[in-house]
Amino acid sequence: MALLEVKNLGISFGGLRAVDDFQISIQKGQLYGLIGPNGAGKTTVFNMLTGVYKPDNGVIELDGKGITGQRTIDINKAGIARTFQNIRLFKNQSVLDNVKVGLHNNHPYSALTAVLRLPKYRRVEAEMNERARELLKVFGLEEKRDYLASNLPYGDQRKLEIARALATNPKLLLLDEPAAGMNPNETKELMETIRFVRDEFDMTVLLIEHDMKLVSGICEELTVLNFGQVLAKGKTGDVLNDPKVITAYLGE
Amino acid sequence: MKKLFGTKNMKKTTKDSFITYAMVILVFLIVQIMVGTGSMSSLLQGLLVPLCIYSIAAIGLNLCVGYLGELSLGHAGFMCVGAFSSAFFTKYMMDTGMNEILRFIIALIIGTLTAAFFGFLIGIPVLRLRGDYLAIVTLAFGEIIKNVMNVLYIVKDKDGLHFSMSDAASLNMAEEGTFLINGPKGIIGTPHQSTFTIGVILILVSLFVVYNLVNSRSGRAIMAIRDNRIAAESVGIPITKFKLMAFTLSAAIAGMGGVLYAHNLSTLTALPANFGYNMSIMLLVFVVLGGMGSFRGSIIAAVLLTMLPEVLRGLSDYRMLIYAVVLIAMMLFNWAPKAIEWRQRHSLKDMFTKKTKGVQ
Repeated sequence: MALLEVKNLGISFGGLRAVDDFQISIQKGQLYGLIGPNGAGKTTVFNMLTGVYKPDNGVIELDGKGITGQRTIDINKAGIARTFQNIRLFKNQSVLDNVKVGLHNNHPYSALTAVLRLPKYRRVEAEMNERARELLKVFGLEEKRDYLASNLPYGDQRKLEIARALATNPKLLLLDEPAAGMNPNETKELMETIRFVRDEFDMTVLLIEHDMKLVSGICEELTVLNFGQVLAKGKTGDVLNDPKVITAYLGE
Repeated sequence: MKKLFGTKNMKKTTKDSFITYAMVILVFLIVQIMVGTGSMSSLLQGLLVPLCIYSIAAIGLNLCVGYLGELSLGHAGFMCVGAFSSAFFTKYMMDTGMNEILRFIIALIIGTLTAAFFGFLIGIPVLRLRGDYLAIVTLAFGEIIKNVMNVLYIVKDKDGLHFSMSDAASLNMAEEGTFLINGPKGIIGTPHQSTFTIGVILILVSLFVVYNLVNSRSGRAIMAIRDNRIAAESVGIPITKFKLMAFTLSAAIAGMGGVLYAHNLSTLTALPANFGYNMSIMLLVFVVLGGMGSFRGSIIAAVLLTMLPEVLRGLSDYRMLIYAVVLIAMMLFNWAPKAIEWRQRHSLKDMFTKKTKGVQ
């Protein structure tokens, strides 16, 4: 059974049919790419998958459970975590605290426990610190854990966003243009990191990307969106050589 | 570029709070010595409790403005609610022969909880909205509460309690009845129970609560919502719950300041001067000038700006001029990049940790 099964997903903004009859099926452990020209509706699909937008029609199932139209926080609890195209970190908090916010739901204690500084507070905080540092280590950010998030270099901010998403312990990780603004070396490093995350955390990854080197390098399967509709899907190599896809990207 | 080590990360924030506790206790001791040796003027002595009141209210407001990132223009309203509900209780219980300390503690709890309740009530609809609605609604709330208190009459007589929102005559009070709340005249004859010591204890309690909350899972969630609401939702933070938590607590602390206020005067009235719009703005000035997100700064600003006009009274005409200059100087010192840099190099925290924050 597929981990993520999406059928007939669609949304309109006013008269614009932003996404229409979108379907995707992602197996557990896959590295799946969602590509398409600018304005094709890729981020809109992400926003529907994570509950930012409510789809007008269609069904989204994660691990066999329907999550269509649920609130963002419930979808996150169900197991989808994401990063953003324009980085959205908690800028005025430290790198470590950004990850600890991601750990919020998995390491609970009440506000009263915190105010009274009960033993549980120290115990859970210690767990959180340990877990957050493990995650930061994966992304080579452990040494920078006390920096303010806004003081990190661009590439590190992207990594921190992934670390924060992973902290919520998701089944499916959505990455929205993770390599945007990165130089070729950083992109290469990022590819290794994504592969490592998949193997190490047993993660399924769906990513939007324009960098074809990254897409062809790590994605096993692709879906191509154009004008809100699925243009092609299948094995990465086949899709990228599909004349329809080449036309959509390069024009007639 | 220097950085702290992870284990010291917790200590850093803990140290920050301990510096503030130490500062408050130190000032308390100095004041006690000055009062003991008679080297403090009666004018200044009369200011001691108000200083505590404004510090507490500013701490509460800072939680809302600095950490939650929501503007409240009605914290004087929460002080008003706290003041009247606690004074009402005290007045009601006055001739029952209840232990005075116990009565004050219960009044304190009642005032704080009532303010929290109103904060919660306002927060339920308003905090779901995005934008500046909270500022508008709290502004209206402050004015409404003040006006309601001015038309509220409550009388106690042998038949029990009577209350009216129009005038005293419609109460049908028995002859030997006493006014608990007498409309615009307010609550008359509350005992002077607020002392500087109680004020300082309450400052410490508020600081303890807010520091411990801010440096916890809940505090991080509150700040995450402030920094980026969409991202906070995407990692599963329940937005409304934590906004309500912070705002309710903020209102409760302001209410605690109100209790202190009510028990510092023999006549409690709701005037524009004490619970009006100006007071709310004044509290906001304390918070902004002291530095949003810095509870220590709020206290310092509240103390300086409350004392200044009184201390300068001798200069009569020039005092408001000097007051304005000090306001501008504080603003520059707090927010100018050069000043921030200077403070980071010479900060109190560094004397303890010998390290600075990760700034590139």
